[in-house]
Amino acid sequence: MRSVPLAVAILALACAAAAAPTAAAATTAAAAAPTATAATTAASAATAATAATAATAATAATRSSARVTQFARLPDWTGLWVSAAWSLGISGRPAGGEQELKEKLQLMRPPPYNAQWAAKYQAALQDKAALATRNATFKACTRSFPALMEGPQQFQIATLPEETLLIFENGQVRHVYTDGRPHPAGDDLWPTPLGDSIGHWEGQTLVIDTVARTASEPLAPRAWFAMLSDAAHFTERLRRIDADTLEEQLRIDDPATLAAPWILTLQFRRVTGVNRMIPFDCVENDRNQLIDGKLIITNP
Amino acid sequence: MGVHYGRQSRRASWKCGCALMAGALMAPALAHHSGAMFDDKVSVTLNGTVRQFQWTNPHCWIQVVVPDKSGPVEWSVEMGSPSQLFHGGWNPKTVRVGDAIVVVVHPMRDGTKGGLFVSATRGDGTPFGAVAR
Repeated sequence: MRSVPLAVAILALACAAAAAPTAAAATTAAAAAPTATAATTAASAATAATAATAATAATAATRSSARVTQFARLPDWTGLWVSAAWSLGISGRPAGGEQELKEKLQLMRPPPYNAQWAAKYQAALQDKAALATRNATFKACTRSFPALMEGPQQFQIATLPEETLLIFENGQVRHVYTDGRPHPAGDDLWPTPLGDSIGHWEGQTLVIDTVARTASEPLAPRAWFAMLSDAAHFTERLRRIDADTLEEQLRIDDPATLAAPWILTLQFRRVTGVNRMIPFDCVENDRNQLIDGKLIITNP
Repeated sequence: MGVHYGRQSRRASWKCGCALMAGALMAPALAHHSGAMFDDKVSVTLNGTVRQFQWTNPHCWIQVVVPDKSGPVEWSVEMGSPSQLFHGGWNPKTVRVGDAIVVVVHPMRDGTKGGLFVSATRGDGTPFGAVAR
């Protein structure tokens, strides 16, 4: 119970910030003032080093109040979310059956390829034996972007002024920097499965810009032959459409492979019936081993 | 106690074979690995005793000892992840060592004593209690 007064103070500050950002900033500045004053007083009676400390404290106080104002403008997306396409029961299998799931997964659909890539894609799909083998033997513990956004993993969204974090139950994290920085330049940028993401807020909509996604990654598990080039450019517009639903418009531009931009609309529903994130991993007790091209169950 | 196989008639299983082939091409879906190793057209009912309940990632497992003509046989029953079971109202104490259990599984295609969890009740037919959260 000792934490209650602090919690009340934080709540009061948050409410004030939400209601009137300017007032909240003033409140914060006033609250920080005694500390700055004390530091300044000490500085006048002591060394230059102490004066420098006081200056830093004053800057921090100013930045802090601006940050609280920024914080107050961000939407509240707390809670746990999951792709609306997925509904897994305690068997770990899709509740509506695999066919129903497949029909819901938009990244499983044929991309709007240009003629050259459409031919490659269709030719790959004709190799039914290769497709069956991949489907019968795959293991997927992590996902590349954008498949991560249409996977079964629950995730949390932490919106900070400097960045938004999408924290998935399998430990994967997307960092979306919203502090105005550009993508890394030149050789400081290299392809990764999640790519490099920066973003900005347009009102209550988070606009995410992602580049440098590894080209050799299939678009999604089971979409083994759907590839993009390493110049693919992704734009996501993420917003809340009701209390329990987030919606994302995902636009994929990739002139090297696509005849036109590929625009998908993904939805995420609020996870109910749980009170915390339960982490997922594939190393604690993985009894599904791939031996001689076959998935087996090992003894406990 | 024992094992009951819910297989179709010979004629039905010929049709079933075609369906299985179509299923394999259709791309099975599972969070951690392919589900093609399990025969989802066959259900096996295991009536036995819990030797172990593994509340682990990436899958929870129930080890069920089932009496057989030639002696007790242990089956490995694969479930979802702790996250999925927790969401379904389970926790690590929902199933305990020594519990009598009747569990239905889709068995391994390769004949090993394992399968994918479909449903379960206690030995007396009552459900495993879900925790409200």
